[in-house]
Amino acid sequence: MKQAVYGLAGPVKKYGPLVLLGIFLLLPLLITKTYILGLLCRVLMYATLAGSLNVINGYSGQMCIGHAGFFCIGSYVEAILATRFGISFWLLLPLAGAVAALMGLMVALPTLKMRGVYLAIITLGFSEIIRLIALNWTEVTGGAMGIKNIPVPQLGGLEFSNARTYYYIFLGVAALFLFVTRRVVRSRIGRAWMSIREDQLAARSLGVNTPAYKAVNFMYGAFWAGIVGAAYAPYARFIDSTIYSLDEGFNILSMVIVGGSGTLMGPLAGSVVINALTELLRPIGQWRMVAYGVLIIVMMWFRPQGLIGASDSVLAGRDIKAKKQKAKEDAK
Amino acid sequence: MKKLLSLLLVFSLALTLFTACSTPASSGAGSGSAAASGNIKVGVLAPLTGTNAEFGKGFEVAMTMAMEEINAAGGINGRMLELVFQDSKGDAKESSDLCRQYVDNEEIVAILGDFTSTACMADAPIVKEAEMAILSPTASNPAFTEMNDCTFGIIGKQDADSRYYARYVLQEYAGVDNVGIIYIESDWGNAAVSNFVDEAQKIGLNIVETASYVQDEKDFSSIITKMKAANLDHIAIMDQGATSQIINQIRASGWDVSLSTNGPGTSQQLIDLCGENCEGLLLTTPFFFDPESEKEMAWRDEFTSRAGFAPTVHSVNAYDCALLIAEAIRQCGDDVSRKNVRDKLAAIEFSGGLTGQIQFDETGSLDRRYIICEIVDGEYVKRAGFDYPEQVAAGK
Amino acid sequence: MEYILNQLVNGICQGAIYAMMAIGYSVVVGVVGMVTFTHGEVIMIGAFASYYAFEMAGNHILLGLLFSFAAAWLMGACVYKICYERFFSAPRNISMLCTIGFSMVVKNLAQIVFGPNQKPMLNIVDNKIYSLGIVQISTIQIVVVITVIVSATVLSFFFNKTRWGIKLRAVSQDKTAAYMVGINVKRTAMVGNCVGCALAGVSGMLLSIYYQTLQATMGGSLGMKAFSSSVLGGLTDIRFSALGGLCLGIIENLGITFSSASFRDIFAFIFLILMLLIRPEGFASKKGARP
Repeated sequence: MKQAVYGLAGPVKKYGPLVLLGIFLLLPLLITKTYILGLLCRVLMYATLAGSLNVINGYSGQMCIGHAGFFCIGSYVEAILATRFGISFWLLLPLAGAVAALMGLMVALPTLKMRGVYLAIITLGFSEIIRLIALNWTEVTGGAMGIKNIPVPQLGGLEFSNARTYYYIFLGVAALFLFVTRRVVRSRIGRAWMSIREDQLAARSLGVNTPAYKAVNFMYGAFWAGIVGAAYAPYARFIDSTIYSLDEGFNILSMVIVGGSGTLMGPLAGSVVINALTELLRPIGQWRMVAYGVLIIVMMWFRPQGLIGASDSVLAGRDIKAKKQKAKEDAK
Repeated sequence: MKKLLSLLLVFSLALTLFTACSTPASSGAGSGSAAASGNIKVGVLAPLTGTNAEFGKGFEVAMTMAMEEINAAGGINGRMLELVFQDSKGDAKESSDLCRQYVDNEEIVAILGDFTSTACMADAPIVKEAEMAILSPTASNPAFTEMNDCTFGIIGKQDADSRYYARYVLQEYAGVDNVGIIYIESDWGNAAVSNFVDEAQKIGLNIVETASYVQDEKDFSSIITKMKAANLDHIAIMDQGATSQIINQIRASGWDVSLSTNGPGTSQQLIDLCGENCEGLLLTTPFFFDPESEKEMAWRDEFTSRAGFAPTVHSVNAYDCALLIAEAIRQCGDDVSRKNVRDKLAAIEFSGGLTGQIQFDETGSLDRRYIICEIVDGEYVKRAGFDYPEQVAAGK
Repeated sequence: MEYILNQLVNGICQGAIYAMMAIGYSVVVGVVGMVTFTHGEVIMIGAFASYYAFEMAGNHILLGLLFSFAAAWLMGACVYKICYERFFSAPRNISMLCTIGFSMVVKNLAQIVFGPNQKPMLNIVDNKIYSLGIVQISTIQIVVVITVIVSATVLSFFFNKTRWGIKLRAVSQDKTAAYMVGINVKRTAMVGNCVGCALAGVSGMLLSIYYQTLQATMGGSLGMKAFSSSVLGGLTDIRFSALGGLCLGIIENLGITFSSASFRDIFAFIFLILMLLIRPEGFASKKGARP
């Protein structure tokens, strides 16, 4: 039985992603309800956002809790340039990512020497500063009035004007993100990130240029958050600073925590679980947010690396000590 | 093994999500005939949790009261009105997802809500596709009602409010010359201030100092000191939530400057929160709880006992929105379709609520008429009625 | 000049409250060794405890102080049991995330239990205005500043002269060494956390007296302010934390004077980031104490 399962592992790993992609491509044809398509859009969007945060928190073990800031930058870059200068959405997508990456660099550079908690607070402060700038810089960002009538993307004759069509944009971004990140994580860069996560001192003594890799890591995470932000702006058609609050950052963070950090599939699972819970817990009304908090605490107590997180890393917290202990005993 | 279990958990959750969400929705699918009998359903989007929960709770209580009233009086053309409440958390993304859910559900004929302008504006393109009306009691961004012909708001246009405020309340009634403005940095606050400043320039009212703050500000002492340093004889406060805190802090700093506000309306909450500090406060308001009117007093007491706090302008607006949509549906007669409700709503003339006459202009907003109130001995007292501008014009 | 002096008074008064929060924060971080995100919620609980005390037994400020102290102490015990006790040997991030989760629970429970609306807290202090030359000071401001100074003095006596205080300092400096000389580290850490939280609770009462209102969501950015203030002392030094709070209050108010109140939090965060860039370990580097 066990062997049969493991025998399947090869083909599943090889063709699984393609099959999954195929299923996802067909979904809008099968589902008639726009509500569910809207939900799927949200799941995919948050999967990419959480995934990009996971690159920072999960792969290199840095601690970013103000991810909403990068998301915000991406959205505003897209919205401002599209409404003012009519630049094509497809050009703005990478551009917004690049601007966000630049901001990521700005955050990363001064914080390279800082330990986890300080970095966490700085990202939090940074996220809040971005939001306040968006709220106060009225000439550029529309201030409290926000930016309305953001043009919808077009491709050929196709207009991406509702959830049914926009689904493909989010799907494309998510698929591209997963594909590229998979490559990156398995390259020298990704291995360097993970070595930093496991033991920064050891990584350094083995010749890993830790500051450079940490900066790149931050930029990479911010880049994708910026792209998702840019993809979100025309979907909502209207943005203002209230969307990008700290709570939004915590929301993204909780997806990484619950789903699992340090693996590609973890944030995807987190996005599914959290968004599913959001909908399923509606009947309990006010208690929903309490349940969220309890869920985070429970995860931290029993499975700090998340549902399908990297169990073989420091992310697993106490587990890893127990495992080492066990390995020692086994050796005896 | 654990991983496998976790994966299974994720998949099962995803599956339950789809089944759970599609069952109630599919029951409503293709049921054009089912909609002709049974209850008439209207969807409500409100922030029942999160930082705006206070207002969402007000929505829920006020609208439920309106619904019960309507149904106790025999419903709408013999059918019961049913409000479906969903918690949008004040989040634009959740709000638009819920909005899609309402659009999918053929039984829902119109949407009431949401609280924040951001959420409302995210919903606008979605309802437009379904030709379904969305009527917000509170969305204050002037761009919201202009977005398309399905968006309606009853907060009233700020140009009317702020102009009335500057011209009639401050210049004509109170006779002040030098004004300082404290306002909230929000869509509502910005629109209010720009119209106010515009009108003030026209009528020669001096604006000596303006200061703004962002939502959730708690410490106004530095703003107040700023105001003190300027040479002014009146402060105009433009906010809904923090007005009471500003008044309290002005009085706590030992300053007895005359004050006025246009945000909160005649809400009991303001008096509860300020106590003696708000004596003599002037305000413009589209509605007024008349102590003479038993019906209005009863409504206020009923609301307070249900919600646990006194009604604000938001809850009163929410109550009127529910009555308004019911009236629009009543006018539809037997043909209760989304399009028809929208058309009837656009053409409605209604004055059965608490906030006075309601009639939408072509954008889906409306011009409210205002009265001037003052707080005397912890009670609101009407100082000038809806016809005050006419009196002033006649006096000249 | 008069204007700026008056703004300075505002700044000092607000800074005093920040200082109180920051002292609590640095006690927590110093003794437990872990960062908390529940501080804002503890402050809120303290404020509500004093609110109900005033409701039931009239406006006795000492009674309110006692209530908020006790309630926040209990909160502190909960925080410790849920967020810290299990995680002393785990990566710090885990307990930090745990405090984020716990703060969500507390905030939303408070909205359900206390109601989501603003509550008034009027006339706790019989307010009068005193003019000292060109500067005006109100009774509320005096009460706030005096309470903070007295609490800080009592705390410093507690830390330096009592047996428990010395234990706490020992744990704060080096847990292993403290363990070796026979101190019950976990219990001491819990007491330290409770003391820090209790101070936060008192500052919550002061905040709501000063602003004359309170609400379940008031915690929000306050925890951040406490953090920013205590960074000046490397998160663990009490005196520098208090100074940091004072500085933050003054910087914010002077910043607002020359720009707009919309930028308040920007000043706070820029102060924080500059502090971290210039001297991330704080101005009172203490050997062995790490955040």
